[in-house]
Amino acid sequence: MSDNMQTISPDALRTEYVSPAQCEFFTGSSGFLGARINGTEYRRVILMRALPLTRPDEYICISDVEKNELGIIEKLSDFPPEQREMIESELSKRYFCPVITEIKSVREKFGNFYFDVMIGERKKNFTVKNISKNIRYHGSGFDIIDIDGNRYNIPDYSQISGKSRRNLDPYIY
Amino acid sequence: MKKRPPEKPEKGKNTLPGYVVKALGEKGLDAGGALFSIKGDMDSEACYKDTRLFFDEKGLYLAFCREKTVKPKHGHVPPDPEITVDKIIAVPAEEADSLSIERYTSTGRLIMSCGEETSPLTYFSPGLAGEFDKFARVFNTYKETGEVKLPDDGAGDENKCKKCGAPCPPGKDFCRKHDKNKGTATRLIKFFGGYVPQIAVILFFMILNSATNVLVPQLSTRALYDDVLANAGDTVLAESLKALGVLVLTVVGIRLLKVLLTMIHDYMSASILPRVMYSLKVKIFEAMQRLSIGFYSSKQTGSLMDRVTRDATNIYWFFTDGIPRLILDGTTLIGVLIVMFMMSPKLSLIALGTTPVLLFTLIAGNKFFRRLHHRVWVTRSRARSLVSDNINGQRIIKAFAKEEDESEHFGELSRDVMSAEIKVGLSEATLFPLLDIVALLITTIVLGVGGVMVAKGENNMTTGTLLSFIVYVNMLKEPFGFLSWISNWWARCSDSAQRVFEIADAIPEITEKEDAVGFENLRGSIEISELEFEYEPAKPVITKMNLHVEAGTMLGIVGKTGAGKTTIANLIARLYDAKEGSIKIDGIDVRDLKLGELRKNIGLVSQDIYLFIGSIADNIRYAKPGASMDEVIAAAKAACAHDFIMKLPDGYETRVGAGGQSLSGGEKQRISIARTIIQNPKILILDEATAAMDTETERNIQRSLSSLSKGRTTIAIAHRLSTLRDSDYLAVISEGTIVEYGTYQELMRLKGEFFRLYKIQSEALKTIGIGGDGEETGEDSQEETHHE
Repeated sequence: MSDNMQTISPDALRTEYVSPAQCEFFTGSSGFLGARINGTEYRRVILMRALPLTRPDEYICISDVEKNELGIIEKLSDFPPEQREMIESELSKRYFCPVITEIKSVREKFGNFYFDVMIGERKKNFTVKNISKNIRYHGSGFDIIDIDGNRYNIPDYSQISGKSRRNLDPYIY
Repeated sequence: MKKRPPEKPEKGKNTLPGYVVKALGEKGLDAGGALFSIKGDMDSEACYKDTRLFFDEKGLYLAFCREKTVKPKHGHVPPDPEITVDKIIAVPAEEADSLSIERYTSTGRLIMSCGEETSPLTYFSPGLAGEFDKFARVFNTYKETGEVKLPDDGAGDENKCKKCGAPCPPGKDFCRKHDKNKGTATRLIKFFGGYVPQIAVILFFMILNSATNVLVPQLSTRALYDDVLANAGDTVLAESLKALGVLVLTVVGIRLLKVLLTMIHDYMSASILPRVMYSLKVKIFEAMQRLSIGFYSSKQTGSLMDRVTRDATNIYWFFTDGIPRLILDGTTLIGVLIVMFMMSPKLSLIALGTTPVLLFTLIAGNKFFRRLHHRVWVTRSRARSLVSDNINGQRIIKAFAKEEDESEHFGELSRDVMSAEIKVGLSEATLFPLLDIVALLITTIVLGVGGVMVAKGENNMTTGTLLSFIVYVNMLKEPFGFLSWISNWWARCSDSAQRVFEIADAIPEITEKEDAVGFENLRGSIEISELEFEYEPAKPVITKMNLHVEAGTMLGIVGKTGAGKTTIANLIARLYDAKEGSIKIDGIDVRDLKLGELRKNIGLVSQDIYLFIGSIADNIRYAKPGASMDEVIAAAKAACAHDFIMKLPDGYETRVGAGGQSLSGGEKQRISIARTIIQNPKILILDEATAAMDTETERNIQRSLSSLSKGRTTIAIAHRLSTLRDSDYLAVISEGTIVEYGTYQELMRLKGEFFRLYKIQSEALKTIGIGGDGEETGEDSQEETHHE
């Protein structure tokens, strides 16, 4: 091995997770989510999910407004309830994704797929193009992305009604 | 019926609609002086909510409300929507300096700044990003200049139908429903316009063909039983045999006539359809060549390959297979029904009375099987993708010893295919006999009732008539079956045709002006001023960029990945148009130049190398098809490609591109450079053109290029600073704008971003034991880099 070659220390491969003891979130007067991490206060932090589809409550990356990573939350459940609520609220806005509870109809016309769905009690119509790309399976359910970039989620495909499944089945690739 | 003015005010006057002003007035806010407004769809907690965002001289306002459209009574003017204002946020003018928007995964947020302070205002869904971005820009301009100046980019209105707001195909103003060019069938039929006489003849022969179908049971069944067999006992054998012989010969004759008729119309169709498909495919391909690069990279475009191949094939099969069967089965059905009613109206009504059961079974069965076949198709295509992935990734699979895992994965997917196929097989085995039972049921009823009629001698019903009637009843099954799914087939053909016409009708984003000018003695100076560009709304790639490149000089551009370097190259070559600002070549805006002339004079060696299917020589002379072999070799030598080409067994005749000789990234880049050298452009843009080469080859090419670039304006984009050592000037780009500009020495003395990049690369080289001897600045260090 050349002298210049360096072995990678196991420390370099270890991910630094922030624990609730090291990190406290707060909502600043401006309305942005801030955090105190290892004694340093950040007036605005940005939270991003590493696994937004399958493990939304784990591996949450905290960064400052310049996108410099400040740490990673390994498990949201480690944090106390009020802190968790703050984090979840921030994430739910960034990853806004209405849950589809019923698929009333899917009509295909000229390459556009017109979805008529229920999001809880609210009726919603949206259009999807290129369905092989925009209806994505993620383990148990589907993410659907419409022509404007809005995302809709079916967390568990087996939990929606048989009629809804029959309506979507022909369009699943 | 009176038409109500649109709720959204006319362009250029985005003020609030009257009913909103009234509702806000009731809440104590005078919004009559609103200068600009937009409608949002989320509140500050990212929940769906109707919002109205507007500003006037006094401040910025955000009203959260609930709006409900009221359906008009027939023939009445639509009433105003019902509106309830829940909350109003008012920000005094002095507390809002500027607005900006941030885009997240599936939302966006409007941010307000006042001095150093920033605060969030509201969220919006991604579809409104363009509208909010426009609002922010109008507001910011108003704060700077005191004028409400609308950007003339149509942001927010693009890709929405001007009539109903539904999505539009790229480059069109109306959705398919409201498009004047609607009528897929009419448009498709127009392609057959030149063949009207032939089509009339085909139709005539098809109808004759159907007539023979209808005639045969009359002879082979009814006449056989009633006229020959029934009288057999009463006449002498010779006469019976004679009558039988005549009948058999007539049936054979009709059958032969049918074969002849089929041959004639198939022969004629075979000579027309490929011609029509040829016109259609050429039309799509020509349209695709006209379209701008943005169309190809658009996420909504889908697979263009499919349009030329699969969609055209869908149309082809519908016209080759579907239409002839439709005509044959349709006319046969009509003919059979007429004959049936002529034979026995009573039995016909009984038979038709039971056909809804058959039709229902057919339609339900079709729907059911379509779903099952779709599942088989999906599972098969997943398994196929895995096989393709596996073959392409064999090297990696072996390197990570993942053979068993891959086999297991394939096994899982194949099991899915197997299950889906078993389900189809079992369902077919169950349902097809069921269909036969339904058909049998109809035949049995007809036979029973008809038998009684024969026994009673009712309606002159004879055994022969009854038997031929049953043949006719059975003949109904096939046309019914076909007609029950022809509509699906037409829907698929119509979808394909729509997608094809979408390309044919799309208007290119980059178009040449009618009064476009050409170059006269092109010198090659480039002037970029206040340039702004974004691929997606509110995601600026180039912001307020100013740059001047003197004719005949070389400018090196450096910057991090994603800084906007390649975008500049694309904008200079006018592959995209700037959102704001301008790019001028010799003082002429690129948008005023003839496109062909502009691109002929700009040689772009892109980082995405693409070699077309053909020989290496053909690829090199792509820009100049008439180039002699001497020119090709000279260009290859200048691009340091000649040596490796000569080592290939077929030399310059080696076939490259898909299915051809595989070349390394560096080799492809050299062919690509040779292709540009032979073009002899006045402006040369090298976008990471030598990134995949070793340092020695890169240096050799640079020597060639620098001798070639005399009198030529060159823009070289690179990560490796050594690539840019011959540049007269260097520009450092960061986040879409130029942060440093000057000669190499000036930038090194400045000790800014360029110096930092230089240090990083120099340190990296030292780490692996090459070059770099510590702290250098200025000319010495430049020399050091040269000899790395």
